[in-house]
Amino acid sequence: MKGLAGKRVVVTGGASGIGAAIVARFLEESSRVAVIDRDSAASQTLTRKHPGLVGIVQADVSDADAVARAFRELDGLLGGLDVAINNAGISIRHDFMDITPEEWRRVVGIDLDGVFYVAQQSARRMLAGGGGVIINMGSTSGMNGYPRYADYNAAKAGVIELTRTMAIELAPTIRVVAVCPGYVWTPMQEAEYTPEMKAAVDAKIPLRRHATPAEIAALYAFLASDEAPYITGHPVIIDGGEIAGGLASR
Amino acid sequence: MKLKDRVAIITGATSGLGEAAALLFAEEGAKVAVSGRDEERGKKVVAAIADAGGTAVFVRADVRRAADCERLVSETLRAFGGRLDILFNNAGVYYAHNAVDCTEEEWDATVDSSLKGAWLMSKYALPTMIAQGRGVIIHQASGWGIQGGDLAVAYCAAKGGVVVMTKAMAIDHGKQGIRVNCLCPGDVDTPMLEVDAKNRGLSYADYMKGAANRPLGRVGTPQELARAALFLACDDSSFMTGAALVVDGGGVAD
Repeated sequence: MKGLAGKRVVVTGGASGIGAAIVARFLEESSRVAVIDRDSAASQTLTRKHPGLVGIVQADVSDADAVARAFRELDGLLGGLDVAINNAGISIRHDFMDITPEEWRRVVGIDLDGVFYVAQQSARRMLAGGGGVIINMGSTSGMNGYPRYADYNAAKAGVIELTRTMAIELAPTIRVVAVCPGYVWTPMQEAEYTPEMKAAVDAKIPLRRHATPAEIAALYAFLASDEAPYITGHPVIIDGGEIAGGLASR
Repeated sequence: MKLKDRVAIITGATSGLGEAAALLFAEEGAKVAVSGRDEERGKKVVAAIADAGGTAVFVRADVRRAADCERLVSETLRAFGGRLDILFNNAGVYYAHNAVDCTEEEWDATVDSSLKGAWLMSKYALPTMIAQGRGVIIHQASGWGIQGGDLAVAYCAAKGGVVVMTKAMAIDHGKQGIRVNCLCPGDVDTPMLEVDAKNRGLSYADYMKGAANRPLGRVGTPQELARAALFLACDDSSFMTGAALVVDGGGVAD
């Protein structure tokens, strides 16, 4: 992708899953990449895998003070910021009637509050630096009803509207976009699924399979690059056709 | 090179966005069938591609006619060894009219070029792609296929149709290894804007000022849209299908 070499990039939740694939892709593009993650074991594994990583800062994105401290540390590591990738997220499978206030807070705290804290810290630096791109992890779950993930879906819908509003307010200096994946085959997914469950889901997706984390990472690279200078304020769906017909949750 | 040795058909490729896409796809290694109604301009695009070291042919076609679409596909297959990897349905026309003033001829020309033409081209291109087990179709939609716009009743109807047709085709042909997506540009600095300014009785300068009234504060360039089409055409978007990629400087965000 054009224009990613040397770019200063931060990826939240970059130690595992899709985040780790995003880190790998931007390193391949010769960007300077730092990670914010709360998982110290996964962070150590990532550092061993990618000696080229600028650094990992340990922080929980749902804690505003921790995010502020992490960004002060990033200032020292990167000396400014060109691309911020709000990837950190969690989900809990539970019926709407069973969601406890604590669970709601945890999911919305990481998936929506965390995106806001990281985006605001990033935007401050980008406005000062004269430009930048912020990419938020949305989800097709933020666009369609999907049972047993009401808190997650509400947070992701919030991310999409936050993205649109930020794009309007921060233009033309900063571009802000959201990526909305459908099913992605990550280690987390692999641990939860039996082969039968996976086959049943795959059969409902027009492309008949889950995405690989690398396929999601490729979209992040495109949107952050000089190949997409006119794209802002838009949630980009990457779901193998899943919600084109509203099929996958049935 | 992102499209090395892939065969692409681009309709409406004799000017503007389609021309930019033809040049870029060829630069990325694709063999391109440049199509349109204007043979003289089309041959200039082919010559420009050849001058840059690329491979292209011109095939004259009016996508409103089934026979032309069928011939465009068969001539492309004949020219480039029987393969067809990418179909970019870019052709479209636009008239500035509301529902009262729009004539039947203008309605038909608008809907037949953008919507019917995209379907006809897909109809004749898909059998080859299905036999190959892979292929990419990109339809040219518009931000006005998502939001309404003033004096664009037929255009909005056609482009809204393209957005949903994209989803329907993605569902039908995903299992055959074919991806179908659409692009939704905002205003792009092409000859179409000059015509639109004239139709609306505005000076080009005033028109462009209005067109730039969007978060990024400017109209798009044909090259920026061509880059987005390239992304949808190449393997970097291998899990995207049924999507509408909006490339409009934030125009439909508010």
